[in-house]
Amino acid sequence: MADVEQVLRETVRKLLQEQKVCRVIGYARGSSALRSTPVFIEDEKDADSLVFDITCGNNLTQYLKKCGKAGDGRVGIVAKGCDGRAVVQYIAEGQVKREGILIIGIPCEGVLDHRKACDKTQGREVSEYRIEGEKVVLKGKDFEVSLDKFDVLSDSCRRCRYPSPPVHDVFITEPKEAASQEPECKEFDEFEKLDASERWAFFENEFSKCIRCYACRNACPMCYCEECFVDQSNPQWFGKSTDLSDTMIFHIVRVLHTAGRCVDCGACERACPLGINLGLLNKKVEKEIQERFGYTSGLDPDETPAMAAFDEEDKQEFIL
Amino acid sequence: MSDILKLDKKRLDKFVAALLSEYRLFGPVEANGLTRFAEVESADALKLDSNTDESAKGIFFPQVETILTYENGKTETPSGPDKPIAVLGIRPCDARSLLMLDKVFGTGKYNDSCWTRRYENALIISVGCNTPRAGCFCNWLDLGPFSKQGSDIALTDIGDALLVESCSEKGRGFLESSDEIPFRKPTDDDLSKAAGVREHAESSMEDKVDISSIKAVLDKSWDSSLWDELAGKCLSCAVCAYLCPTCHCFDIQDEKMPGTSRGRRIRIWDTCMAPQFTKEASGHNPRPTGKKRIRQRVMHKFNYFVDVFGEIACVGCGRCVRSCPVNLDIRYVIKRFMDAG
Ligand code: SF4
Ligand code: SF4
Ligand code: SF4
Ligand code: SF4
Repeated sequence: MADVEQVLRETVRKLLQEQKVCRVIGYARGSSALRSTPVFIEDEKDADSLVFDITCGNNLTQYLKKCGKAGDGRVGIVAKGCDGRAVVQYIAEGQVKREGILIIGIPCEGVLDHRKACDKTQGREVSEYRIEGEKVVLKGKDFEVSLDKFDVLSDSCRRCRYPSPPVHDVFITEPKEAASQEPECKEFDEFEKLDASERWAFFENEFSKCIRCYACRNACPMCYCEECFVDQSNPQWFGKSTDLSDTMIFHIVRVLHTAGRCVDCGACERACPLGINLGLLNKKVEKEIQERFGYTSGLDPDETPAMAAFDEEDKQEFIL
Repeated sequence: MSDILKLDKKRLDKFVAALLSEYRLFGPVEANGLTRFAEVESADALKLDSNTDESAKGIFFPQVETILTYENGKTETPSGPDKPIAVLGIRPCDARSLLMLDKVFGTGKYNDSCWTRRYENALIISVGCNTPRAGCFCNWLDLGPFSKQGSDIALTDIGDALLVESCSEKGRGFLESSDEIPFRKPTDDDLSKAAGVREHAESSMEDKVDISSIKAVLDKSWDSSLWDELAGKCLSCAVCAYLCPTCHCFDIQDEKMPGTSRGRRIRIWDTCMAPQFTKEASGHNPRPTGKKRIRQRVMHKFNYFVDVFGEIACVGCGRCVRSCPVNLDIRYVIKRFMDAG
């Protein structure tokens, strides 16, 4: 990734120098070798703090609305495939103006699921890592483990079809082609084979762990409501406890609110401190939307989002 | 008796049985991909070799607790636990955190009966951390992987056996009265193994940083521009507060069953990181921005708590360090203020 990082820093430095952007949202090295942290660069001198590697898991798009103050100029954003799709979805949903954003595409090889890596090292501090082909080697004070990269990749990256943003203004090195079809995902296929009651049981089991910290929602670029339905207090629609029914309703409504908008970036799942599997539900809904409305989120800024359009031909057999 | 005893791990069941005869027992349990505290009925269920994803505070201060129920205008308060609580396998950082929470809920100015009725008679049995995890920094807070503050009994894992040491009257009393537990006398070899384990654990931690001046530094940092920088990336979620063993803010909610006169009043965890936390009935919010909220969290832990209770409200358990989705590492936050201050 060293090359990519060099080009990225150089590019951002230039963009700032030439005042093509007023700030750039990117990643800097975090407090450990396996963590990165979002960073907002305004001064070209700081461009050297930018990094890009498998630890860059946050979906930065969710900062776009916070970051662009009116009259400030364009905001640059370092975008993997899924960040880029979220930006496209923002444009399609009228949340940001295309001309206000400068998309800095970056080739993505998938990002790490921090919890998976942690499990494999018994939680010990990893001080460096390196990629060797399909292996990730993690090194700490008195250990070194070589793991299959696939085993520590985020679930959403394993099934990712669009590694590069569908729209970009500049690209760091070369964009990667989208896969001609969805990569095979055993976990999802297995999940789809379950009948409704088994699926319900699966999610009950997952959501019974939920502590309602809302990290999933707050890390999600598509959860940008000024006030989330679960936070409304006048009237208050739903209970705030962690009783299973209260927790389930939060997740069910959230997934309905992100239906046809979710870009399967996996940021929610990676943000969850308890490793709750949120991706399968998102993926299932994404597939429903694709099958019903032939719509995939985040690919075309000019296409009307599925939930914002009505067509007489739309399947509506589910309306009783 | 400050004597150290030895218990073969195979005989842990006897220890657990003795505890169960007097206490409701809680311990770390692995289920559903997580290690968290749960009530246990047998030694087999215990997972003593790693710290829990969530802290132990929920045993004494549950995330959701019914404080009263009502029907037709009459209220009823649920009774406390029928037996006192014992916790086996809590880590030194969490054991220490309970002492802090007790200052807030138990022995301080206010007596919170929901807390006191659980914690007052509790028996806290900690186990030292042979392998501190990435992100652990209890050594910054004058603690260590084998500190005993807040523990009644402290265990050290030496492989096939546990060394068992009482650290309070209560702990001593329990050990002395439980003659059915097959304790043995540790050999010199056992004791040196324990010393080795301790030394290895302590040396595997990252270097201690002296943060004794943090309170004074923060006294002068109210207007620091660092707050804006931190708030820029903070998601305002509740990961840090809900996983934290010392965070103790809560909300109270009344839940009425629609169409009835029945309902319950619950106390639930809340967090200063959420915008709703300070929102008033008028709609006014005195802490409307992320900057003000993150300042509150850091100030409460490293400044106000020191003012009120004479200590920092952090035990360095590292949970927020490991789980903050944007790697807003509290160690980094403190260091940045110290460097600037
Ligand atoms: S719901 Fe999850 S996967 Fe979908 S856009 Fe939001 S964070 Fe990404
Ligand atoms: S991040 Fe995880 S624990 Fe937190 S609300 Fe979402 S699913 Fe629940
Ligand atoms: S510091 Fe991290 S864990 Fe805490 S509220 Fe902010 S984003 Fe969430
Ligand atoms: S602030 Fe973080 S490290 Fe300190 S006690 Fe709380 S969760 Fe643990």
